[in-house]
Amino acid sequence: MNIDRNVIVGVALPGTVPRMQTLRHWWREAMARQVFLLPIAVVFLALFLIPLGQTLWYSLTDFNGYSRALRFVGIKNYVRAFTDPSMIASLGYTFFYAVSTTIVVTALAIPLAIALNQHFLGRNAVRAVFFFPAIPSIAVLGLVWSFILSPLPSGAVNTVIGLVGLGSVPWLSDPMLARLSTVLVSVWGQTGWHAILYLAYLQSIPSDFYEAAAIDGANARQRFFHLTLPLLAPAVTVSQMLLLTGGLKVFDLPYTLTKGGPGYATTTLSQVIIRRGLGEAKFGEASALAVVFMLLVLAVVVAQFAISRRLERRL
Amino acid sequence: MHRQNSKMLALLSITMIALAVIMGLPFYYIIVNTLKTQQVAGNSPFGLPSRLFLDNYLSVFRTVPILRSALNTLYITGASVFLMLLIGSMAAYGMITRRTALNRLFGAALLLAFMVPFQSTLIPLYQMLARVHLVDSLNGLVVMYSAGSIFCYFLILGYMRTVPFEIIEAARIDGCGTFGIYWRIVLPLIRPILITVGVFQTMWVWNDFITPTVFLSSPVNKTLVLQVYSAVGQFAINWPAFMTLTVIVLFPVVVFFIAMQKHIVNGLVSGGIKG
Repeated sequence: MNIDRNVIVGVALPGTVPRMQTLRHWWREAMARQVFLLPIAVVFLALFLIPLGQTLWYSLTDFNGYSRALRFVGIKNYVRAFTDPSMIASLGYTFFYAVSTTIVVTALAIPLAIALNQHFLGRNAVRAVFFFPAIPSIAVLGLVWSFILSPLPSGAVNTVIGLVGLGSVPWLSDPMLARLSTVLVSVWGQTGWHAILYLAYLQSIPSDFYEAAAIDGANARQRFFHLTLPLLAPAVTVSQMLLLTGGLKVFDLPYTLTKGGPGYATTTLSQVIIRRGLGEAKFGEASALAVVFMLLVLAVVVAQFAISRRLERRL
Repeated sequence: MHRQNSKMLALLSITMIALAVIMGLPFYYIIVNTLKTQQVAGNSPFGLPSRLFLDNYLSVFRTVPILRSALNTLYITGASVFLMLLIGSMAAYGMITRRTALNRLFGAALLLAFMVPFQSTLIPLYQMLARVHLVDSLNGLVVMYSAGSIFCYFLILGYMRTVPFEIIEAARIDGCGTFGIYWRIVLPLIRPILITVGVFQTMWVWNDFITPTVFLSSPVNKTLVLQVYSAVGQFAINWPAFMTLTVIVLFPVVVFFIAMQKHIVNGLVSGGIKG
């Protein structure tokens, strides 16, 4: 209470002793609040800034994690990264995975969300079933699917195909089919989640918009393209951003489903970084990959943001 | 018009339920085969078992240290989410009450940090943990997950902007200290976002695979997801046993889903918007 009176006095009588106390009080109060930012500053320094700096530095050296004497090698690691066949294969696959899951999930999730927004019988149960695959660990689901798609007796898909009289399909051992399988399982796992995201946006569209459009004589197709889609544009931006960055960063699903095989057919960038860096202790090379990877993710985020901004404005 | 509409809805209902059945088929497949012997499961993978066979559950509980993994996962998730919410909410409160130029700059730096993928800092982080002997330790993993506090900070900050802060000023006049205000007034005020973010991060940590695979190695430290992963080799032939382990591991997740469905969807929407 004493201090508060000083505050008042300090304002009323500038230049007197109480003002000094006010200043000190203000300073103490400011520092007390600044302390609240201390933990996150520690997290930022220890878990982001310093390791990021180290990654940048290692990427220019021949550091192998053991010998203390590390040599500056310039861009040698970057050159090697781009000439390494496993790296090129994983770059190609990671892009394929990120882009195709983004396209397919978006193409399925928007109509699904519109359907889930209608008042049909069993709607809540259907919503829950579609959403559920996003709840458990995708790593566990990947392992389950590796059994379902296997040519062994556990492979239900091949059992069904066998019943129709066709031969067993090498879902996970043929390079192209393996790539396709990872995308299919990913689509199965993510479509419901993104549909619920779209649904949340759909529910915020006032229904009188549709009534007005119907009175103006707009048919269902026109209502979709001129009303629903423009109003969903922000949701498309968010959903595609999550799908694209998630796809580029992906590790769990291809790894648990196919282990990255056959060969390098479904090896992701994340997997190569981890294997090079921690498995083979080639810190320099792995760090160069990590830097390239980060720039790639940032570039995609920026590009996607710019494109969708422009599209949103045009709609 | 009305009749046509109800016919359409009936058709939609049938289509959607059929699609949902196809989507849910893998889960039916997992569950139904835990109740069969290996031979029966191989002969009719989709059929219902003729008699209830519970040996898979008994043998999985006997051979896999599920309880240990569950406790590890529970500890890691509980400690990490608590830490993330604490650090994130403290930072948001500090940032909102002290808007200096330096703090704004720091806020922008946090936004950049938020976009750095984990894979890009992984190797130095591994070395750092190795130096302080926290590799292959549950607490080391908690340290790694505390990086998630930056995500929490952004969501909580967004929510705090909508909270009327006159209450806080009133509390200050009543003689509450800065920490007292945070603990007794700010935290209860932002409870809804704490729950939403907490649920969101719980699902991340509980389900995470990449961090435990990289940082944990000894069997006693395994999380549930790692336990399932290493059981693939063990149950490669006896796949009904593998499905049984999966069902046991998924059980708490299903309970969590049913209890928290509303918050999960909230988290999805706000996390999606901010993320």
